[in-house]
Amino acid sequence: MHEFSIASGVVETVLAYAEAHGVQKIVEVRMTIGELTCVEPDQLKFCFGAITKDTVLEGAALEIDTADAAVRCPHCGYEGIPKYWEGARASAFLPTLECPECGRAAEPTAGHDCAIKTIRYVRDASAADPPPLPVTA
Amino acid sequence: MSTATAPAPRPVRTIPTIEASPEEIYDIELEHSLLEANAKIAEQNRAVLDKHGITAIDFMGAIGSGKTTLIAKLVEKLKNKHGVAVFNADATTSDDQNLVAGSGIQVVQLATVNGCHLDANLVQKALNTIKLDGLRLLFLENIGNLICPAEFPLGAKARVVVISVTEGPWSVRKHPHMFLGAQIVVINKTDLAAAMEVSVEDLAADVRKLKPDIKVIPASCRTGAGVDEIAAALLAI
Repeated sequence: MHEFSIASGVVETVLAYAEAHGVQKIVEVRMTIGELTCVEPDQLKFCFGAITKDTVLEGAALEIDTADAAVRCPHCGYEGIPKYWEGARASAFLPTLECPECGRAAEPTAGHDCAIKTIRYVRDASAADPPPLPVTA
Repeated sequence: MSTATAPAPRPVRTIPTIEASPEEIYDIELEHSLLEANAKIAEQNRAVLDKHGITAIDFMGAIGSGKTTLIAKLVEKLKNKHGVAVFNADATTSDDQNLVAGSGIQVVQLATVNGCHLDANLVQKALNTIKLDGLRLLFLENIGNLICPAEFPLGAKARVVVISVTEGPWSVRKHPHMFLGAQIVVINKTDLAAAMEVSVEDLAADVRKLKPDIKVIPASCRTGAGVDEIAAALLAI
């Protein structure tokens, strides 16, 4: 259940931003989760919902985009989608590091993301300030 | 990008949302990586270890796969020729430390309490408590868990996954992520393979299907088979 610590990280980061910028309500948090991570989106959403009660994040939607895995083969130069191990699991295709071209070991180049991409929030429209700049955490 | 998978339908929004008029809504790019904080501390750990010429090895695997026993065997084999230290991580007990403590080397017990993985921060704290001069190898024993530790590098130069035939024939394909980031896989308890009716060769084939160049070493900590080969592989890193 590392989803809980990841959800905590999301909430801490967004709440820090909200406090620093006078945000009244967060409407949506959009994340990217890579295909090569073992972060389960449904569990993450459940944890997020449970720990955002009574905060400006309560009721916010957690949208999760999946980032595809990609590999590069140092042996034959192949670059692109990984070879999938079909049939290993009933519910999903399993990305492997076997080069789809030459069968030797490829290296992952994409698919390890676990990041907050954007947040969407409500701010008092009568406030004269321009939209605040993002905090870099 | 992947042609092998049909795109999943957009998840249905089940959490009620608060609507705001368009002029009240701001979209802000945060680009905040949640694994970065741990990864940065892992890099710091690695820099400290490199400076002292220490190779750290992260031992991962399920509860009961034989991580602690293997580490104890390796310590006995290596401690007279090479400086070795061990960090044992466990959620609650210090039983692991006790197994290695009699060997006379530096051993630190790390408690993750309810955490499901060892993280770089705990390793950094432990590094500050031991004498690094003269060490050649540092064994980091992760929590017994075949999923969570994969996402949390510690600063180790190599990751070893210890599986055993007693976990059954499917432990590799059911926990693939753990193997993608490893350099060595130990298949332990081979002396029980016949009784378990589990094929060591099939387990090794599954590992190589995920990562063709990975080193697979069948071993039995009980009989001592394979332990020399593991020690040699660790010294070669």
